[in-house]
Amino acid sequence: MNNVAVHLDDFSVRAGHREILSVDSLAVSRGEFVGLLGPNGAGKSTLLRCLLGMQPHARGGAHVLDRRVNRLPSGDLARLRRRVGFVPQILPARSEMPLTVREVVAIGRTGIAGLLLPLKSGDWRIVDEWLERLGLTSLARRGFSEISGGEQRKTLIARAMVQNPELLLLDEPTANLDLGWRERIVELVEELYRQTRITVILVCHELEVLPPCCSRVVVLDEGKIIADGGPGEILTAARIQSLYGPTLEVVHNAGRWAVVPGGTNHA
Amino acid sequence: MLDLTFWASVIAGGLIAGGSSGLLSVYIVGMRIPFLGVCVAHAALAGAVFGALGGLAGPMLLVPALAGAMVTALALGLADPRKIHMDANVVMGLLFSVTMGLAFVGFGLFGVLGKSDNDVRSLLWGSLTYCRWSDVWLMLSAALALGLFVLLFGKEMRAILFSRTDAQAAGIRATGVWTGFLVLTAALMTVNFQTVGGLMIYSLITNPAAAAFQLTRGGRRVTILAVILGAISGGGGFILSAITDLPSGAVIVLFSSLLVFLAAVFRHVRHRG
Repeated sequence: MNNVAVHLDDFSVRAGHREILSVDSLAVSRGEFVGLLGPNGAGKSTLLRCLLGMQPHARGGAHVLDRRVNRLPSGDLARLRRRVGFVPQILPARSEMPLTVREVVAIGRTGIAGLLLPLKSGDWRIVDEWLERLGLTSLARRGFSEISGGEQRKTLIARAMVQNPELLLLDEPTANLDLGWRERIVELVEELYRQTRITVILVCHELEVLPPCCSRVVVLDEGKIIADGGPGEILTAARIQSLYGPTLEVVHNAGRWAVVPGGTNHA
Repeated sequence: MLDLTFWASVIAGGLIAGGSSGLLSVYIVGMRIPFLGVCVAHAALAGAVFGALGGLAGPMLLVPALAGAMVTALALGLADPRKIHMDANVVMGLLFSVTMGLAFVGFGLFGVLGKSDNDVRSLLWGSLTYCRWSDVWLMLSAALALGLFVLLFGKEMRAILFSRTDAQAAGIRATGVWTGFLVLTAALMTVNFQTVGGLMIYSLITNPAAAAFQLTRGGRRVTILAVILGAISGGGGFILSAITDLPSGAVIVLFSSLLVFLAAVFRHVRHRG
C-alpha cells in the first residue's frame, strides 16, 4: 500500500467529440483533505464519477486506493467501491418506496455484507452508531422522504460512513440547503475528518463550503486543472474574479473562506 | 353458495396470483415502471406467435412465450440507464413497440400460411374462472421462485429501489440483481397471464403496493402488507364476483382499486387527525 489514495495520469474523458475532462497529473495523498473547486460544468462531478469507475469513455490512468479503476473487472470494481464513500450532489428522486432513514443508512453496509446474506447484527450496530454520531437517531424510523433536505444530506453522509471508507467523495454536499444547514454540514464534515483522518475530496463551487481542515484546493475550469495548492495560495481575489466575476471579493476568517459582492467595478 | 370442491382451485389461483403480484408491485411501483406488465405481455405474445408458427401448440406454447418475455426482461435489465442515457420507461416503450410489431407480423403470417391463431390468443388472455390445479401448481412454483429471490437479494433490491446509481456507487452488484429480478418477474407474469388474464395482472402489479405505501413505511412492512393486500384482492375479488355473478377479472380490478382509494382516505384522515 503506497501513500497515494488517488492518482490520475494523462487522464481524459470525452463526451462525443468534446473533451470534458483532461488531467495531466493529479495525486492525492492518504489522509489529505482536498477541495475541488470550479464553476458549473468545470468537470468536478465527472472527475468524482471517474474515481468511482462510473464514467464511460475515460482514457488514461486513474488509480484509486492502489487499483487502476478504469481497467478493473466488474467484481473488483464493486469491491473497490465498497472502500469509497460517496455522497451524491443530487438527492435521489423521491422514491415511491417509503424506506426509513435507518434503512437508507443500511444501504452502505449492503455491498460489504455480500450477496445472499442478510445484514448481520454487527452491520446494524454500525448503522445505529453512525445514526447516533450524526444526531439522526430520533429520525431513524421516519420515512426518508418525510425529513428535510438537510437531514437527508446527513443521512447520505451516514450511509457513506457506515462503509468505513478509506476515501470519502463529497459532491456538493450543501447544494440547495439554507444557510443554517450549510453551516451544520460544513461543521459535520470538519468533525468527521478530524475524527477519522480519512482521505476526503470535497467538490463545491462555493468557497463557504470549504471547512478549516481543507489543506489543499484544486481548481478546475473547462475540464482542466488551472490551479493546485494551499487555500491561501489559490483562493486569491484575482483568481475568484476570473472564475466567477470581476465584482467579487474574497474574505478569509478563522480558517473559513467566503466570497462577497465587492466593489472593484463600483470603486 | 360457492361449491368449494369445484372452486377451490380458482380461489387458490386468485390468492397466489394476487399475493405474488402484490410482492412484484412493491418493486414495480417502487421503481415507477408499471408499464412493465404491458411490455412483458407483448414480448410473451411475440414469443408465442413465433412458437406457434414454428409448429408448437397447446401448453407447449408457454415455452416460447416465456422465452420472449424473459429475453425482453434481460434486455431491459442490462440496459443501464446511466450508460445508455435513456430512462427505463423509454427503453420499455421501445421494447414494447418492437415486440408488438413482431407479434402483429406473426399474426399476419398466420393468415398468409392459412393457420389458426386461437391457441396463441388464449395463452395470454386466460380467465381465473378456468384456473385448474395444474395451473395453480405452476403459478405457485413461479411465486415461490420470486419469493426466494426476494429473500436472498432483499437488501440489494432495497438499495436499488432507493437509487440504482447510488447502489452501484456503494459497490452493490445492482445490474446483475436487477436483471435477475426482471427475468423472474417476466416468467411469473407470463405464467399468470395464461391463467388469470392480463387485465387482472396489470392491476395487481400496481394496486397492492400503491395501497401499502399509503398505510405504512419500511421495506419489510410494506412488502408484507402488499402481499396481503394482493391476496385479498385476488381471493376476495373472486368471491365477490361469484356472489354477484359479475366477471371475475373486472371485479378483482375494481376491488383492488377500491383498496387503494380506502388506503388513501385512511392516510388523509390519519394525517389530519
